[in-house]
Amino acid sequence: MFMRFVAAASCAAVLGSAALAQDYPSDNVTVIVPFAPGGASDTTARTVTQAMQADFGQPLVVENKPGANGAVGAAELARAKPDGYTIMVASIGTYGINPALRADLPYDPREDMEMLTVAVRTPNVLVTRPTLEVKSAEELIAMLKEQPDTMLFASSGVGSSDHLTAELFWQQTGTSGIHVPYSGGGPAQTDIIGGHADVSFQNLGAVAGFVREGQMKMLAIAAAERSPDFPDVPTFKELGIEGMEVYSWQAFGAPKGLDPAVKETLVGAIHGALEKPEVQETFKNLGFEVLANTPAEADAFVADEIARWSEVVKAGNITPEE
Amino acid sequence: MEILGDLWLGVQTAFSFWNLTYCLLGVFLGTAIGVLPGLGPTATVAMLLPVTFGLSPETAIIMLAGIFYGAQYGGSTTAILVNLPGESSSVVTAIDGYQMARQGQAGKALATAAIGSFIAGSIATVLIAFFAPLLSSVALAFGPHEYFALMVLGLAASVVLASGSLLHAVGMILFGLILGLIGTDVQTGAMRFTFGSFELADGISFVVVAMGVFGLGEILSNLENEADRTTVLTKVTGLMPTRADLRAMLAPVGRGTALGSVLGILPGGGAMLSSFASYALEKKVSKTPQQFGKGALAGVAGPEAANNAGAQTSFIPMLTLGIPSNPVMALMIGALIMQGIQPGPSVIQDQPVLFWGLIVSMWVGNLMLLVLNLPLIGIWVKMISIPYGYLFPCIVAFCLIGVFSLANSTFDIWLMGLFGVAGYILRKLDCEPAPLLLGFVLGPMLEEHLRRAMLVSRGDVTSFFTSPISAVLLLVAALLIASVLAPAIRAKREEAFQDED
Amino acid sequence: MQGHRTKDFWAGAIYLALGLATVILARDLTLGSAARMGPGYFPTVLGGLLAVIGAVSLLRGLLRPGELVGRIHLKPMILVIGATLFFALALDALGLAVALPAAMFIAATASKRFRLAPVPLLGLVGFTIFCVLVFVRGLDVPLPMFGTLFGG
Repeated sequence: MFMRFVAAASCAAVLGSAALAQDYPSDNVTVIVPFAPGGASDTTARTVTQAMQADFGQPLVVENKPGANGAVGAAELARAKPDGYTIMVASIGTYGINPALRADLPYDPREDMEMLTVAVRTPNVLVTRPTLEVKSAEELIAMLKEQPDTMLFASSGVGSSDHLTAELFWQQTGTSGIHVPYSGGGPAQTDIIGGHADVSFQNLGAVAGFVREGQMKMLAIAAAERSPDFPDVPTFKELGIEGMEVYSWQAFGAPKGLDPAVKETLVGAIHGALEKPEVQETFKNLGFEVLANTPAEADAFVADEIARWSEVVKAGNITPEE
Repeated sequence: MEILGDLWLGVQTAFSFWNLTYCLLGVFLGTAIGVLPGLGPTATVAMLLPVTFGLSPETAIIMLAGIFYGAQYGGSTTAILVNLPGESSSVVTAIDGYQMARQGQAGKALATAAIGSFIAGSIATVLIAFFAPLLSSVALAFGPHEYFALMVLGLAASVVLASGSLLHAVGMILFGLILGLIGTDVQTGAMRFTFGSFELADGISFVVVAMGVFGLGEILSNLENEADRTTVLTKVTGLMPTRADLRAMLAPVGRGTALGSVLGILPGGGAMLSSFASYALEKKVSKTPQQFGKGALAGVAGPEAANNAGAQTSFIPMLTLGIPSNPVMALMIGALIMQGIQPGPSVIQDQPVLFWGLIVSMWVGNLMLLVLNLPLIGIWVKMISIPYGYLFPCIVAFCLIGVFSLANSTFDIWLMGLFGVAGYILRKLDCEPAPLLLGFVLGPMLEEHLRRAMLVSRGDVTSFFTSPISAVLLLVAALLIASVLAPAIRAKREEAFQDED
Repeated sequence: MQGHRTKDFWAGAIYLALGLATVILARDLTLGSAARMGPGYFPTVLGGLLAVIGAVSLLRGLLRPGELVGRIHLKPMILVIGATLFFALALDALGLAVALPAAMFIAATASKRFRLAPVPLLGLVGFTIFCVLVFVRGLDVPLPMFGTLFGG
C-alpha cells in the first residue's frame, strides 16, 4: 500500500514537473557541492555558475553540504525532486569511487542520478621526492622491483583517486609499496617535498608549481597525451604500461527522471558557460582541461569509471576494514 | 637591498585607496560577524568568501586576511564576555578572560587581548617579510615523528592547563581524545563510532562540541543563580589596563609572540597548539600560578599574542608552498584558485604585488583592528550588563544559526543539544570543559601522526628518539609532566605523613 | 556514608561507563599491533585508560569525604535543550522567520524572571528580522526563510 502511494506520488511529481517544463527556469536553482568551500568541486561550481548567471535568467545558488567524501550531499541530491531545481557538482570520488568502495552507500549514481556533463578534468601524475635517486619512471619501476614493499606511497586518503591510481600502478607493473594515507592532498604533497615520503600520484594542476621549482620530480603522466607544459614527461602508454589513463574530474549531475526539455536547457547553459574564454582561462591556470561532453557520454563515462575502480578495489582488496 | 624594493611595492599596493577600503571593510565585517557567538573565523571567512569574487586577486586576499583577523579578534571577545570559544585557540582565552569578566574586569581583558594581539601581529609580520622563504624550510623539516612529538607536548601542556583536580583533568582529556576518534579512520578508511550515520563520517565539528559544552552548558549553570550573575557583572571596574598592567603583560606577550610565530609555521596543526603552549608556559614561569584559572592577566595576554602571531605566520606555508595549515588557509587557497592563481612556490616570483601587498596589509589590518576595537570595548562591556534573561536567548539563537552553517544541516544542532546536556552535568561534577576540548582537538592528530610514523619507520619505536627535533620535543613534554606530577606527589606524601601523626 | 553522592563518585561512574562503552564498541574494529595499529587500537587503549581513571575516581569518592553533587535543575535544561531540538526539527517546515523566535521564546521561559511583556516581544521580532536580513539575505546561509508549511 505504502509503495503504491509512493509510486503514485512520484508519478504526480514527474507529471507536475513536465507540465511546468516550458516555464523552466522560474525559480532559484540549488547547486549542491558535497564538499567544503574552497575545494576543486566548489571552485568548478562557482566558476561555472557565475558564468551561467547572465543568460540563465534565474539565480544559481551554490550550497556546500560536506561529509563522507561527498556522500552526504550526493544522498541529498538522490532524494531531491527531478525538477531541475536541484543539481550537483561533485568529483570522481563522489560519482566514480565511492560506489566502487562502499556497499552501504546511501546513493548510486547509476540508479538515482543522471549526468548532465563532465565539465573538467586534470590528469594524475607520478611524482617523487626531490632526493630520490631515480631519473625516470623505468628506473623507479626497476627500484621498486628490487626492493618490494619498502617505498612509501603518499596519498590523499584511503579510497582517494591518487590512492587507487597507485594501486592500479602496482597492479599494472607488478610492483608494490607501502601505502601512506594522509588527510587530503596538501599534507601528502608537503611530505613528498620534505622527503618524508617517496612517491605519490597527484593532480597535475596541484603539483605543477612544485615540479617547476624542483621541489618534486615528475616522472610520468597518466594522460592520453603529454602535457604541453611538461613536454619532456612521458605518458604511461609510451612507457608500455597499459590502462594507466587516470584523470580527476568534476561533473554536473541531477536526480534521475529529469524532463528532457529541462535537461536540454540546463546542459545548454552549462556548456555555454564552459565555452566562455574567461572560464577556459581560469581552468587552464589551474591545470584543468575543459571536457564538456554530452549527457549520454557522461552517463557512460561514470558507469565505466565505477566498473573500472570496482575492479581495482577488488584486485587490491581495499575495502575499508571494519 | 632587494627586500626594501619589494616592501615598497607592498606599501604601494596596500595603501592604494581601494585596498585600504576593502581591508577596513574586511576587518570590520570579520569583527562584526566573528563576535557573534557560534560563528568562529572559519565560518565567518566561509560566509564572506563569495563577497570577494568580483575583486582583483590582491584586493580579494587582502580583504579575506582582514576578515580572518577581525573574526579571530571577535572570537576572543566572545570567549571573554560570554565564555564561548568559537575555535580551539580561544578556548584558552576563555579560561582566564571570562574569569576577569566575572570580576568586572572585562574591559581590561579585552584591551589586553587587543594590545597583545597587535604587538604580536606586528612582530610576526616583520618575520614574514624578511624570512618567509627561509621559514618555510622549517615546515618541511617536520615529518610524522616530529608532529607526533609536538602533539605529545600539546597533551602535556593541556594537563598543565587544568586548574582543578589532576585526576579529572586527565579524565576529561581522555574523554576528549575519544570523542575526537569518531569518524573515518585516516589510515584504513574504517568508520568508527558513527553508528552507520554518514553525517558522522568526517567526525564531529569542534564548533558543535564547543557550543554545546561551553555555550549551552554555561547558560544552564548560569540559569541556576541568575541573581548572582547580574550583580557580579554590573560592578565593572577598570576599562583600560593601568600602566602597571601594561608593564606586566610585556613579558607574556613577548614569549607568546615567539611561541606563536614558530608554531604557526607548521602546517600540521602547529598554530592550534600555540595558544595553549603559551598558557602552559606562562603558568609555569609565573610567580603566582595559583592565580591562573581565576583571572590572571598573563593568562590572557600570552595566549592571545601567541594566537595572533601564529595566525600571521600560518600564512607562510600557504604563500610559499600552497599548503593550508588550517581550514581558514584552505579557504584562502580556494579564493586564490577562484581568481585563477594556483598557490605554490612560484607565487612570490609570479605575483609580487599580491605577496608583498598582503604582507604590508597584514600590519595595516592589525593596526585597524586595534583602532577599531579599543573604542568598542565600552560598548561590549555594556552589552553583557543586559539582563541575562534577554541575553541568553540571543546567544542560543546565534549558536543555532552558527552550528547550522557549518555543514548547512540540522544534524549538527541535534548534536549540539546533546553536548549541552553533557556540558551541564560535567560542570556539576567539577569536570572542566577546557581539557576536554583540547583532547578533542589533539586526539585525531595524535593518532594520525603516531600511526603514520610507525608505518613509515616500519614499527621502529627508536625512530622517535633518533630524530633530534622529535627527541627534544618529547624531552620537554616529559619535563612538563614531571613538573606537574612532582607537587602532586609531594602533597600526597605530606598528606600520608599527616595521617600517620 | 555519603560516598555515593560525591562529585568524585559520579564523575568516576561516568568515566567508567564511557571508557567501557568505548572498549566494547571498538571490539568490532581491527586491533592490530603496536607496530602496525589497526583502527581499534587507539580507541581500546584510550577507553581502557578512561575506565581506569573512572574506577580510581569512583573509589576515591566512596572512601574519602568530598563535595556533594549539587541539585540538577531539570526545568532550564529541558527548556533550553528542548528549544535547540525544536529548532532542528521545525526549521524545514517553519523556516527561520518562525522557528527562530519560537525557539528563543521556549528558551527564554527557562529564566526565573521570565514575564510576558510587550517590550521583549518587540525585541524578539526585531532580533528575528535582524537575523533574517544578516544571515539569509546578507550572507546567503541556505536557511529557509519561510518553511514548507508556508509554501516557502
